[in-house]
Amino acid sequence: MLLEGFATAAQPEYLLYALLGVTLGTAVGVLPGIGPAMTVALLLPLTYTLEPTAALIIFAGIYYGGMYGGSTTSILLNTPGESASIVTALEGNKMAKAGRGAAALATAAIGSFVAGTIATVLLTLLAPAIADLAVQLGPADYVALMVVAFTTVAALLGSSPVRGLASLGLGLFIGLVGTDTLTGQQRFTLGVATMSDGIDVVVVAVGVFAVGEALYVASRLRHGPIEVIPVGGKWMTRGFWARSWKPWLRGTFIGFPIGTVPAGGADVSTFLSYAAEKKLSKRPEEFGKGAIEGVAGPEAANNAAAAGVLVPLLTLGLPTTATAAVIVAAFQSYGIQPGPLLFTNNGPMVWALIASLYIGNVMLLVLNLPLVKIWVKVLQIPRPYLYAGILLFAALGTYAVNFVVDDLIVLLVIGLIGFFMRRHGYPVAPLVVGLILGPMAEEQVRRTLQISEGDLSALVTSPFAAVAYGILVVLLTVAVVLRLRRKKTEVMV
Amino acid sequence: MIAAKVEEYAFGGLVAAVGVFTLVDATTIAGRDDNVVGPRAFPYAVGILLVVTGIAAIIATARGKLGQAEEAEDVDENVRTDWLTVAKLVAVLVAHLVLIDVIGWPVAAALLFFGAAWTLGATWWRALPIAVVLALLVQVVFAYGLGLSLPAGIFEGVPFLDG
Repeated sequence: MLLEGFATAAQPEYLLYALLGVTLGTAVGVLPGIGPAMTVALLLPLTYTLEPTAALIIFAGIYYGGMYGGSTTSILLNTPGESASIVTALEGNKMAKAGRGAAALATAAIGSFVAGTIATVLLTLLAPAIADLAVQLGPADYVALMVVAFTTVAALLGSSPVRGLASLGLGLFIGLVGTDTLTGQQRFTLGVATMSDGIDVVVVAVGVFAVGEALYVASRLRHGPIEVIPVGGKWMTRGFWARSWKPWLRGTFIGFPIGTVPAGGADVSTFLSYAAEKKLSKRPEEFGKGAIEGVAGPEAANNAAAAGVLVPLLTLGLPTTATAAVIVAAFQSYGIQPGPLLFTNNGPMVWALIASLYIGNVMLLVLNLPLVKIWVKVLQIPRPYLYAGILLFAALGTYAVNFVVDDLIVLLVIGLIGFFMRRHGYPVAPLVVGLILGPMAEEQVRRTLQISEGDLSALVTSPFAAVAYGILVVLLTVAVVLRLRRKKTEVMV
Repeated sequence: MIAAKVEEYAFGGLVAAVGVFTLVDATTIAGRDDNVVGPRAFPYAVGILLVVTGIAAIIATARGKLGQAEEAEDVDENVRTDWLTVAKLVAVLVAHLVLIDVIGWPVAAALLFFGAAWTLGATWWRALPIAVVLALLVQVVFAYGLGLSLPAGIFEGVPFLDG
């Protein structure tokens, strides 16, 4: 099956789409202010004319490419970076300042490649098996999975569970607007005709990511020259391989499982990998001053987690990060529902997609190792033009959905909400996940209760659902205990 | 500090208000009595979630637990919020959406890019040509590359620009 996928993905046309995807992905990963979630959302309306396989190959390239590009920025830019790669910045930045930038970039790129490839192999092996099991899940089981995903994305990650849940609620509310699929009733449309189709996912994602981010950065823009640390030193030394390969592998096996279960995405895995490397290192005193293990491990973990996220995405239709949520929306815009039946109904497409992940990883290694100098130039784009461009393409992408100006009004309102959310520590990822999973969750709840004729216990009596809720309770308890303990130590200090 | 707190109360209040609206407006959704879970049940749950979290955010703020502003590469943590810049950008976006149907997408887009870049500190004589070229380029790519025609406005009938 995979070989057939390779046969498809290796056609010149698809190779070009993959190259386009990984190049765009690296570019948006390098540039501050733009991320893969927003890029995929922006490109959605423009790819309606493409066939689904081609579009999804581009999106997969953007998804993987964004992970590679982000590390370049956090190593070379003299400012704190985004959360997923902030651990890389810790050591990578120090290495670059000490004139060992080339080694830091190389261990990040090769580590990402190693981790990305191993994790894609694991995805290839695991996904069909999980899909086979998932076919047997009933609506109540899906409700349980979604409740777990909602809770972990909104409450367990981030610093403020209350604000995460509020963000989730806002996303669920936006998802409610429109016509109810089961009864055809209008909900929350305020009598506006264009609202009866609901608020387009693209408009919300672009608003909250692009417009919200641009307004937020503009409100406190860092002026003056962009300080990029020059890339120094040689990377191909004996110590490089000897000190890097173990962290790469450890990072992979820390990152992949964490990405797979709906419990964290990339951030958690990079922190765990960093802690593991620090503990296992023979030279712990180097940590904080530019230890190569502290770049190699977390970067590998980051990429492996990104591939892991694709497992629940493809087999259960369950997105656990903002980018994954937007990719689900992309599938849906082509009338394809990711989930257990994906491998049976759209087999050739999924396998071509997975094959393109292998190919994309090789392309990314080339793009990010010998060609890294180009990305350093991209990093230096003057910020006024960068953010003006983001706003222009945000407006364009939104307008191109339906060619109505009303969508731009919605874009502006949602952009302003995203702006204030960033100011007050409300994470935006739960909003997007809630928006996309909310309607699915409602449908599954109602199907469960229709089958059980209103008996609420049906939601928890299925063995799978019961286990899922059990695990969730354990996770929440652990989180509360950890939080209380941290508070105690803070008081004592 | 006080301003940040006021704003934070306001946002928490907004979340709770959206929740109240959800609960109130949900009562007007016509539902069938024979079906236990009609189109109202889920909105009620979402409304309750919003009201509870909105109030909880207000309480957290009152107890001094302010939300942490997001960090980003281009954000300077040491400067105060520049509200004028934000207002100008919003005005530029509003102008863009009003002008699309009046003078066409290319001009409206050029104004959006130019206005935003200028607001953010670009030199105007450098930003202007970039804005014009970028807008025209996108117009041509859309019309001929993607087969989607953006409203040409004042360029209606002009070859290459009017898809």
